Amino acid sequence: MSRAILRRMMRLTSVFLLAGLLHHSFAMFDTTKTVTLAGTVTAFEWTNPHAYIELDVPGDNGAVKHWTIELGSPSILQQGGWKFKDLKFGDKITAIVNPLKSGQAGALLSRITMPDGRVLGNGPGAAGRQ
Amino acid sequence: MKAIIAGALVLLAAAASAQPPDLTGVWAPYRGGRGADPKLAPPPATPLVLEPQYAGPFEARRKAEADAAAKGAPIASGAVACVPYGMPRMMSVALYPIEILPTQGQITIVAEAFSEVRRIYMNTPQLPMGDVPPGYYGRSVGRWDGDTLVVDTIGIKPTVPAYQNMPHSDQMRISERLRLITKDILHDTITLDDPIVLEKPVTYTLAYRRMPGYEMVEFVCDNNREYIDDKGGTHLKVRDR
Repeated sequence: MSRAILRRMMRLTSVFLLAGLLHHSFAMFDTTKTVTLAGTVTAFEWTNPHAYIELDVPGDNGAVKHWTIELGSPSILQQGGWKFKDLKFGDKITAIVNPLKSGQAGALLSRITMPDGRVLGNGPGAAGRQ
Repeated sequence: MKAIIAGALVLLAAAASAQPPDLTGVWAPYRGGRGADPKLAPPPATPLVLEPQYAGPFEARRKAEADAAAKGAPIASGAVACVPYGMPRMMSVALYPIEILPTQGQITIVAEAFSEVRRIYMNTPQLPMGDVPPGYYGRSVGRWDGDTLVVDTIGIKPTVPAYQNMPHSDQMRISERLRLITKDILHDTITLDDPIVLEKPVTYTLAYRRMPGYEMVEFVCDNNREYIDDKGGTHLKVRDR
């Protein structure tokens, strides 16, 4: 299978999953783009209608850029293996995200590597399929 | 004596078979597509046919929605502002389960998303259309037709979203037929009829799978970081730190 076809399938899978996760259109986010963010958690909010990770990401020049990462809701995350106490202030994580189309430092979670090495998606079945 | 006992057993068996199926419990949406059993997945919907004066604006709105989404500021639905869906959309929101709770004379359905509640009054006459104040859930009455729960709902106000966000009037009637396809797969066949907006009724089916042991998750919308601009577009509030 060519890489182009594989990329397209991944994108379609992503769109299919997102459609099931959110209480609104996900069109704020550019699901054709992914950004990898490695940083330190400053807050993890297990809330409705969405959970959020606030993340400080150090740049090449030592400056820290802050990102807001939107997740599904607690119900949807729970179906994907998440727990409310999975993250806390100071945890180091790596997140693959779809950035906002607006260019602001906000994004939608696609996949995360947790401090203990577990890889979770943004809902059931998302991890390991993208 | 033997004949009396045999007769009693026959009567008991008949009474048992007349018992409606037990729908008590939590049910998650079961969608068609990859991995789904086509025999259990919902059948296709009938076409949505609006009266001509509503069809044009509906298509124009759909185009505006697509254009706004492409720009990254999708046109907000009420759900973005954490307004509940109401009927009939509350019966199928993303992956969120519903819980069916039969009690004496009533069947209550709780939807996990937005913690919505609807009550179906059993074996009770429906009121005339104009006697139900238009709202999110209207008034639902139900009865068992053999193994099928038949529900009639009226009194849904026009701003409450319906199938595919179609427009509707306060004259819309929602007819549902809920039936177990297998022990653990439930179908809800929903027909929407609206003498003002629809040229003919539209029928679609929702499928659910039983979720034994699932504990419903609370959903209180107290951290809504999305906001709607003056053009109706949706945006995310990001934080500096």
